[in-house]
Amino acid sequence: MTLLALLLAVATQSAAPPPSAAPTPTTDAARVEQNDTCLSCHGEAGLEKTLPSGEVQSLVVSHETFAKSVHGDKLACTDCHTDITEVPHEARPFRTKREFSVAYYEACKRCHFANYSQTLDSAHAAAVARGDKTAPLCVDCHGSHDISLPSEPRTKISQTCSRCHAGVSQTYTASVHGSGIAEGNPDVPTCTDCHRSHDVAGPHKAGWKNRTPELCASCHADEQLMQKYGLSANVMSTYVSDFHGVTASLRAGSDDRNAAVVARCTDCHGVHDIVRVDAPNSRVLKANLVKTCAQCHEDASENFPDAWLSHYEPSLQRTPLVYLVTLGYKFLIPFMIGGLLLQVMLHLWRVVVNR
Amino acid sequence: MTEPLYLQRFTLRQRLEHVAVMTLFTLLCVTGLPQKFYDYQISQWLLDLMGGVDSARWLHRACGLTFAAFTAYHLGTLVWSVLNGTATFSIVPHRKDFSDAILQVRYYLGLTDRQPKFDRFDYRQKFEYWGLIFGALIVISTGLVLLWPVTVARFLPGEIIPASKVAHSYEGLMAFLVVIVWHIYNAHFNPDVFPFDKTIFTGKISMERMHHEHPLELERVVPHSTSAPGPSGHSA
Repeated sequence: MTLLALLLAVATQSAAPPPSAAPTPTTDAARVEQNDTCLSCHGEAGLEKTLPSGEVQSLVVSHETFAKSVHGDKLACTDCHTDITEVPHEARPFRTKREFSVAYYEACKRCHFANYSQTLDSAHAAAVARGDKTAPLCVDCHGSHDISLPSEPRTKISQTCSRCHAGVSQTYTASVHGSGIAEGNPDVPTCTDCHRSHDVAGPHKAGWKNRTPELCASCHADEQLMQKYGLSANVMSTYVSDFHGVTASLRAGSDDRNAAVVARCTDCHGVHDIVRVDAPNSRVLKANLVKTCAQCHEDASENFPDAWLSHYEPSLQRTPLVYLVTLGYKFLIPFMIGGLLLQVMLHLWRVVVNR
Repeated sequence: MTEPLYLQRFTLRQRLEHVAVMTLFTLLCVTGLPQKFYDYQISQWLLDLMGGVDSARWLHRACGLTFAAFTAYHLGTLVWSVLNGTATFSIVPHRKDFSDAILQVRYYLGLTDRQPKFDRFDYRQKFEYWGLIFGALIVISTGLVLLWPVTVARFLPGEIIPASKVAHSYEGLMAFLVVIVWHIYNAHFNPDVFPFDKTIFTGKISMERMHHEHPLELERVVPHSTSAPGPSGHSA
């Protein structure tokens, strides 16, 4: 019992944040004074350190840059650099610039805990855990002393992602969504609208693919939004009522990679390279549709794409056969079942009367 | 008390065909209807029970192809019996069936006290038999289109495929409802046979039921037997 209490006491102690010898300044004046003290050395151009790897780590922080950053009027240097307690600073064992960044990875979570814990579920964190030294940390996307709002202007988001995902970014920029962003259109999605930001998911999981229709529908089933661009908001409902859509929605809960492939939005329309459906290079343009279908349906013939109603409800003008068969059964079934029920009831009534 | 007399009504082959159709029809409904009504909780539950939509589809296709084989066999022997002159044509609809139906409804409504007299099959049984045959031809042909859409589109317009999907699912639903409403009533809940008309399983029908349900046939098979009415009258 005593041992347990002792263990608990130790555990509680070790869980507490490390004591900081340089207390975080509590008033504005104290913060400015402290920052001025640090910058009296670190504001000098040319302050740098050569690391064992041969890389040169600049130790200069521009007063102006930091003042303009979102933290400029909020944080003192030691709010993040909690390990700096004395001058000259204690020697640090960094061999590379990356090790230096990784060591400061946890600094942000003191204030941004929710975002930090979201990153733990991300594909990026999984890459970090695998030991991928290029996988991004907070500062790789947000910057460090020069942090500004990440989504202002909105074009900044894809520019940030493009630093690593250059190929995808280039494709996206040429797409109907990417070109919209460049024109300042607030409605079109940028990277994080589909992939999310801190908890960015790996797109190679079946679970992700199963959610694709839902993802696209979050904009494309929005009647008001689609009306603005002359687009149909029925694309999701018509997809779901078709064979592909039924299969996709029945599998939505599963994560089975072995299940046979079923077409989802992106399989026909493309992903980062989505263009207008009437663009000459559109995969869903009539002339290109056979090739699109043949991705799954090998040997698809000229007639085959007509099997798909192109997100239209059956109509007499467009698909008379489908429309008339539907209409016929809508009359036949109630007529047939109603007639039979009537006979059954008449029979039973007669039985009762005869008794 | 004398033992009730029985007539042999169905051959072993006919009884086995009924068991096969009954089993396949049930399996096809259980695997097919949850796909039509996929967003209902019970459909999800049934599909999960079968190991997901993909295995349910495989089961549906296997049953469908077996059902198609049975139908082909049935129709094949039918054609053969016509060709070699052994066919009896007792199931073929006749003008009398329409007047029987009208008379029966008039009787139900209390407009007449006269009831139609039936031969081997009454108009309801003929309706069900031919309903099954034509329904089977529709679900089988559209089912084959849905099973091999790419091949079909090589010869026919692509619109055949979604039209087949509509026809297949509605025809299946209608067959299901007809069986639930009509067949289950006639074979189980009809006061004349309640709780269970065993004839299609045993092949036997009592003389008493023959008197009431198929007097014309009885007159042909056992002449002058209809002059004496059965001991207890049927309810309707």
